[in-house]
Amino acid sequence: MTNYEFHCKTKLILSYKYWRSKAYLKGREKSLDRYCQNANVFLRMKKYTTLIKAFWQRALHYRFTVFAYRVGEVAEVLILILMWTTIYAGQSSIKGFTLQEMITYILIGNVFNGIVRNWLSGMVASDINEGRLSMFLVKPMSYLSYVCTKEIGRITLPVLMSVLSQILVILCFSNTFIWNLDWGYVLVISAMIGLAFISELLLSYLVGLVAFWTDEVDGLYTTMERIKKFFSGGYFPLTLLPAVFVQISFFLPFAYSFFIPAQIYLKKMDLSVGVYGLGVQVVWIAILYGVIRIVWRRGLRRYEATGI
Amino acid sequence: MSIIEVKNLSKNYEYYRKEKGIKGSLKSFFYREKLLASAIKDISFSIGEGELVGFLGPNGAGKTTTLKILSGILYPSAGEATVLGFTPSRREATYQKQFSLVMGQKNQLISNLPAMESFIINKEIYGISDSEFKKTLDELVGLFNIGSFLDISVKKLSLGQRMKCELVAALLHKPKVFFLDEPTIGLDVVAQKNIRDFLKTYNEEKKTTIILTSHYMEDIRELCQRVIIINLGVIAYDGRLDDLIKQYVRHKLLTVTFSGKGILRRDIEKFGEIEDFSANSCTIKTSRSDAKSVAVALLSSSLPVDDITIGEESLDDVIRHIFGEGR
Repeated sequence: MTNYEFHCKTKLILSYKYWRSKAYLKGREKSLDRYCQNANVFLRMKKYTTLIKAFWQRALHYRFTVFAYRVGEVAEVLILILMWTTIYAGQSSIKGFTLQEMITYILIGNVFNGIVRNWLSGMVASDINEGRLSMFLVKPMSYLSYVCTKEIGRITLPVLMSVLSQILVILCFSNTFIWNLDWGYVLVISAMIGLAFISELLLSYLVGLVAFWTDEVDGLYTTMERIKKFFSGGYFPLTLLPAVFVQISFFLPFAYSFFIPAQIYLKKMDLSVGVYGLGVQVVWIAILYGVIRIVWRRGLRRYEATGI
Repeated sequence: MSIIEVKNLSKNYEYYRKEKGIKGSLKSFFYREKLLASAIKDISFSIGEGELVGFLGPNGAGKTTTLKILSGILYPSAGEATVLGFTPSRREATYQKQFSLVMGQKNQLISNLPAMESFIINKEIYGISDSEFKKTLDELVGLFNIGSFLDISVKKLSLGQRMKCELVAALLHKPKVFFLDEPTIGLDVVAQKNIRDFLKTYNEEKKTTIILTSHYMEDIRELCQRVIIINLGVIAYDGRLDDLIKQYVRHKLLTVTFSGKGILRRDIEKFGEIEDFSANSCTIKTSRSDAKSVAVALLSSSLPVDDITIGEESLDDVIRHIFGEGR
């Protein structure tokens, strides 16, 4: 590039910049406003990403425990497969489920369930009982968003490892496993799992809030987990039971983390029913959020910030 | 101008009584007698801008409860509190960005992570700009000299180091009002002294209004000009620390040392009440006004006096005296 060319180019760039800035000042106030708003949203988002990153770091600290849990999970899935294989001996199908479908149900359902899970209740309950909640109440960020963001950061690594190990198991059974990667199904199932994650998070939070009234929530939590596991189809597909159970489970939030997405995956349930289910999930999220707001407000009035 | 206004504030806690033994437990499973305990009763005070006030009182006196109400953690049962014109229990973000609370026995730092991570989280939560954050952090880290362990997991720090980090985390957003609940509890004397020095400098430089509770007299004596003594939920004294001493310290202590073989107890009994005695040294308690004349009398007597020092009755004794009155 000659000196002259350089000179011309610089001038061009400068005049372009000048023109742009003028245009900005003249007619672009609106877009500038929008830009500021976006920046604001970005800043607000930053608080969440920072929290998530911090808890990722912390999760790495517990990598051994995270790994140890996965061993048990995989073992449970294998035991279930062993059990059903034994039960099926000689029969080609039970209540419309072939063995191949049953194994797929167990494998894919556990992947879904692995993504949806959280351990928020205990954390919320101990924050309340040990008075740690006080340290959050004085901060300009709501406890709900703090603790949910923290939980997302906390479980990312376990969930990733869980899904990875389940996929490894699926690969081991790749001859039996039924693959369904139709994009329509993938889309609906993904949305369902996303919503199920949110409703499970809110439900756990709500159970944790009961600690405002009782000293421990372990009993309630365990009972809840068992009922949830049953209605989610985690023990066995609900279609094995009278039809009324499937109908009930459709209007409860639990089945959306296992049974319903697994049924859709197996094409045993129509996509349209799945879309309808998404609506049910949204309603549940709204209900849970509403109840949480009421319970939180009442609970805080009772909160005694004990501990010290 | 007063920053903190507390009017007729009360707080009651509910609790239950359980009869002893398994029978009592079973009974209380079905029916529990509900009782009300009042942590604070009808207290009022006001605190001006830049004041550093000490809350003093025995365990369970209501100091922490008051601080918790002022920071919006607890709802008052009756009466009202305003801080910077806000009602704390509404927990408005604009108020929350202007004050800070540090409790000696509760931490806000995330364990298993270096303190720096918690600082960064606070930066985002309080919406502190990058440049402001860096400036404040550098300043605080310099004041405390904690630069070397900011990147070590909080779990591995000593109690003193951790408390310093807690204070830094609490001050990053430059609060106008700062509540400290037992910040020196469990610390060794050196760490206690560090924290006291820091608070003193911080209060002088930033004119931050500070309320401090502590059981350690040394904290209060060094830092606070004004003390509010709370006992059994009511204010037993509110005023200058000097006045407290004048009002309640009625005695002086004369410590006399003797040379040679020393003396006998009966030789000095006539000078005043003997607190402590050995042949070569003794402590005599006299009224404040008599202290000088007693010293003169000792010096002019035939006793082998080597040295006399006149001291105050300790503040601890005074406080114990006041606490005792309420019971």
